[in-house]
Amino acid sequence: MKISDFEKLKNEGTEKLPSEERRRFLRFGLAVTGVFLGGSVLSLTSARNASGVQEKKSAAGKFPYKPHYTMVLRQNRCIDCERCMEACVRTNHVPSYGYRTTIMEQNRAAGDDRDPLFMPVLCNHCNRPPCVRVCPTTATYKDKETGIVMMDYKRCIGCKTCMAACPYNARYFNEETRAVDKCNFCFDTRLSKGKKLTACAEACPADVRIFGELTDENSEAYQLIHKPDRKVWVLRPETGAMPNVFYIND
Amino acid sequence: MKIGNTKARKFFNLLLFSLVLLVFCSQASGQDEEDGGSIIFTKPVKAVIFEHSIHTEQGLECDSCHDGMFEMEAGVAEQNDDFTMASLYEGNYCGGCHDGDTAFASNTRCTACHIGVKGYERLTGGTKDSGGGH
Repeated sequence: MKISDFEKLKNEGTEKLPSEERRRFLRFGLAVTGVFLGGSVLSLTSARNASGVQEKKSAAGKFPYKPHYTMVLRQNRCIDCERCMEACVRTNHVPSYGYRTTIMEQNRAAGDDRDPLFMPVLCNHCNRPPCVRVCPTTATYKDKETGIVMMDYKRCIGCKTCMAACPYNARYFNEETRAVDKCNFCFDTRLSKGKKLTACAEACPADVRIFGELTDENSEAYQLIHKPDRKVWVLRPETGAMPNVFYIND
Repeated sequence: MKIGNTKARKFFNLLLFSLVLLVFCSQASGQDEEDGGSIIFTKPVKAVIFEHSIHTEQGLECDSCHDGMFEMEAGVAEQNDDFTMASLYEGNYCGGCHDGDTAFASNTRCTACHIGVKGYERLTGGTKDSGGGH
């Protein structure tokens, strides 16, 4: 039976369903979706028709935000000096076992370790953030004004579902606060205090991290990614999360 | 008896292997002494590698760089305030050759020399105390 056929059936409700039956059904469902074997919680959501990356989808809340913060990463300039990470740790009190931003390393070709590629990674502050969708307590949310994906630490129950859902591995569980922590573009530590740049962007000696606003046509970030002949990419576009962190070369 | 034979052969093989290794290592270290080996700069950014062998293999002599661009003693250059990319672009230090004519320009192929903190940790055998997000 196809899903479209199921949709035509009348809903029988759950009142008459014995709990034993319900449990069996759930267990079967979990086994199928592979949740026990490391599948993500996202695999529990109902199946939908396959769609291309280009399809227009609604964003969480109004879009664009004002200001609509973005970070443009000039990837080929990154030399993994990790001053950004040091600045982030200092500014946001990140423990040694976690990170809000990190640098990944990649060989250009298999077995060839000359001129490796370094790739800075941080929260992409997605317009359709999977972490926000799965959070059971709305502890993580899209800020209505800035679109920054924020954390309400008091509401976090530490279930780590958001960590599993994040396509960018941009979250960690803070053992001290017993809550998940993540990049918030230094909103509490810098932006709200009038500073224009995040700590990492300010610390970068190679101008890799360009922090700015997508709604401001005069901002460097806007101009960098609006050059017609420039190749711009995002990480894992297939997730449909609509990230706000862009990558370019030079 | 048979087992003893295998053991003896194994021991001999091991001996041979260690001998070869010894000869190889002593040769390698001898070469290092000759040309200064690998220099790792950690200032002003962590980290930049300079391989003497790559440069001498291309026919450069000691006095091609010493004592003009660099002192003989390792680590002197990075104590200077002008040991920066801007200075390289003006033809100082590495920029003396890495100008786009003699060798690739200093503002290209960043990671050919900049090995980063990760490269530094790998070479020095240090382990970074930084976990993953998960």
